Amino acid sequence: MADEDIDVVIVGSGFAGSLIANELAKLGKKIVILEAGDGVPSNINGYMERFYKAEDKVPESPYPPSMSDKDGHFKTLDPKDVRAGRPTVRTLTPTAWNDPRQSYLDQSKAKLPFASTYNRVAGGTSHWLGTCLRFVPSDFRMKTLYGKTVPEFVDWPIGYDDLVEWYGKAEAEIGVSADVADQRYLNIYFPPDYNYPMPPIPQSPTDRAIGDALATLKPDQTAFLGMTPSPTSIRVRPVPAARNSQPYRNRRACAGNTNCIPICPIQAKYDPTVSLNEALNHRNVRLMRHTVAREIILDAELRNVSEIKYTRYSTTSNETLTDTIRAKVFVIAANAIETPRLLLMSTNDGRTPDGVANFTGKVGRYLMDHPYYVAWGQLPLDGKQVWPYRGPLITSGIGDLCDGPFRSQRGAFRVDIGNEGWNFVAAGIVGSDPHATTIDFVNGVNRSLPKQPSRNRGGLFGPALTKALNDNITRQFRIGFLVEQTPDADNRVTLSDHVDGLGLRRPKIAYDLSPYTRRGIAAAYKMKNLIFQKMNATDYTDHAVLPGDPTRFDQDIDGKTITLNYGGAGHIMGTCRMGFDQNDSVVDSFQRSHDHDNLYLVGSSTFPTGATANPTLTIAALALRTADRIAQRV
Amino acid sequence: MSKSTDQEPTLQAPAGKDSTSITRRSVLAGAAAATAAATIGTDVPALAQAADPPTDLEVFVTLSSALTGIAGNKLKPFADSLDLSKDYLTWVTDWAAKKPSTAFTTLLQITRSTSLPVFKDDGIIKQPDVDRLVKAIEGKGDEPKYLARSIVLMWYLGSWYEPDDLKNLPLTAPSFIKHTVISPKAYTQGWVWRVAQAQPMGYSDLQFGYWTREPPPLSDFIANHETRKRS
Repeated sequence: MADEDIDVVIVGSGFAGSLIANELAKLGKKIVILEAGDGVPSNINGYMERFYKAEDKVPESPYPPSMSDKDGHFKTLDPKDVRAGRPTVRTLTPTAWNDPRQSYLDQSKAKLPFASTYNRVAGGTSHWLGTCLRFVPSDFRMKTLYGKTVPEFVDWPIGYDDLVEWYGKAEAEIGVSADVADQRYLNIYFPPDYNYPMPPIPQSPTDRAIGDALATLKPDQTAFLGMTPSPTSIRVRPVPAARNSQPYRNRRACAGNTNCIPICPIQAKYDPTVSLNEALNHRNVRLMRHTVAREIILDAELRNVSEIKYTRYSTTSNETLTDTIRAKVFVIAANAIETPRLLLMSTNDGRTPDGVANFTGKVGRYLMDHPYYVAWGQLPLDGKQVWPYRGPLITSGIGDLCDGPFRSQRGAFRVDIGNEGWNFVAAGIVGSDPHATTIDFVNGVNRSLPKQPSRNRGGLFGPALTKALNDNITRQFRIGFLVEQTPDADNRVTLSDHVDGLGLRRPKIAYDLSPYTRRGIAAAYKMKNLIFQKMNATDYTDHAVLPGDPTRFDQDIDGKTITLNYGGAGHIMGTCRMGFDQNDSVVDSFQRSHDHDNLYLVGSSTFPTGATANPTLTIAALALRTADRIAQRV
Repeated sequence: MSKSTDQEPTLQAPAGKDSTSITRRSVLAGAAAATAAATIGTDVPALAQAADPPTDLEVFVTLSSALTGIAGNKLKPFADSLDLSKDYLTWVTDWAAKKPSTAFTTLLQITRSTSLPVFKDDGIIKQPDVDRLVKAIEGKGDEPKYLARSIVLMWYLGSWYEPDDLKNLPLTAPSFIKHTVISPKAYTQGWVWRVAQAQPMGYSDLQFGYWTREPPPLSDFIANHETRKRS
């Protein structure tokens, strides 16, 4: 199709970009998608092969460009040589995270690491967990409810009432398994007669063990939560998941591969390639892979976007081609780091020195994640087993503690219950379990978490080995706390002087945790103690806070100094915030730039506050709402 | 498990027997030995079932069975479409040739000369016999000692850990050790998952909802299925 015929150019084919493309494709709109990375493979066999062979099965392991050599060993790529680079888990180590020669993100000046990563490939966040929580209504009104003591908080220009219809549409598109009766808490409501598309995912033995432990509590045990009244029982609820509990839209029911992150081998979990492929089935939609958007070019009045300048690169040679593409409407659907990066790179020969959509200097600010506090436990060896490594990675969680009066004082948290034992990077050892525990027993060492008296290299063999492994592993469990982070103006994305393989300036990150956020992690620590105590579990979490871990920080908790740490949740939010007008934000509630009439910035970059729910369902609901709006104008 | 049902002679291949090389004579000899053993109530030495001298593969599987605690017929089933035992034997043989090292030859020699009766109910070699084998191996020095551990980890994790790395591993400090996933097949057939009554992450052949129920007992995963199913 000729340029002048194009209705919409979309930069990025992740969740928001694919959903918008598919909605507009159905209406016959002419669409071109620019994707920085590889396109959609004809099947996922190559991804699976790379995953199985990878030495570290980290979230990026299946996806291109490969981070492994032919033997599956991690290889170091200097980010200056990579055309569409990305942050990786393997470059978050104590020696790599703030070294721009190893880490794609320039964090050399960050106070604490921004610990989340992303992929750049068609389908974007295909390595997601599949959790599809709705925000609770209070999450949209943080300034109104808690702004008196937490001035960083702002209100969204829309509320739960505005999104309830779109949440339902997103759940239908993605295919969510849940029961409305389980999901009515903290004022979440559903339209009359609403049902999720599929029945809920059944709970695991670990879910039940934690649910039993929290069924009866004394008010003084839960007073620290700051809820009114202090709960005497805390419910473990099934988590709504984009994971088929029955065949849905030609995809199979979940077979419990315990591998949602990084990849479901049978695509029982929705990922954006599903909607992207549907969009690409329309002749009016085209995907340009290996195509990096490098500048948004404005018209003479700086009112509208006229074209996007991009560079296509060859994966087999150094050849590149730089050109521009015109359209009526432009949608930037990169992510909350790549979207502001593109806006800031777009200086229009000095006409917009601070970048596009940035007349009031808000682009790149208020970067948020859900700092993830992870805890490892083991049930008594003479007690019941919970059999991890079975079922989806996560089937249940605790959502009822996400809102309450305490939010005027400390960050809220949501609890995830893992079904993957100690697989989640145990004790800072990449590769982790079951490898670490097996090596400990076979080799007579205690290099992961201390599970046994030192046997001074006396390994276990034969029936003693199978018994020790079975006794221990079947009683291991993990919980995680997704903590709400304040939107802080100084947590921001700017442009680094370090460049990528196309000579484009890489993202530079400034990041820290506010006292409010740290107090949220401290409350998570106390909740962890309560859960472990009620389960009579041995707590191995302290051992996981290693010297040299860059995410460590000391926190005063009830007069004692406790060293805590956090991980990244992969929930990158807040750098193009949504608001009421140009003075307080970058986009309006339809994710349209206040500054430029035909420019939409979509995805979790527009979240003014981050709440505690995984952002994807809200990204999807907002994307469908935006697609509907765009459809009315082109 | 009922003792009386164990009186039936078994026609299964001996542990580690290469299915393509089974002769009628070795099958009958194995059967006769099993019958005799059942009659007089003793267990069958794993390598005594075949009349022919045991092959390196048979010895390797017996060694592996003793050290891993998993039935030989589980490590190398009679109809073995995956042939992982051969892959692993080749891997270790190649490793020894490349190093070069005589440690693997030493391991095989020790296994050949050690009486390793198979616990007939489940095909698992008993702890005292395993301990004698390990003592004999570790008496030959660090090379065979840590190679034996690499072999166990290979079966459990589908990955190769260099014996020298295991030897030099700090006792307590968390540290990453490099390893090589032998093949996608090796990863998906790792025994640690089954010993945990689970399935490999990313390779489930089970059906929706299985995780909400208790798994089958451990013996279903690691003990000799041929024997167990007659109980």
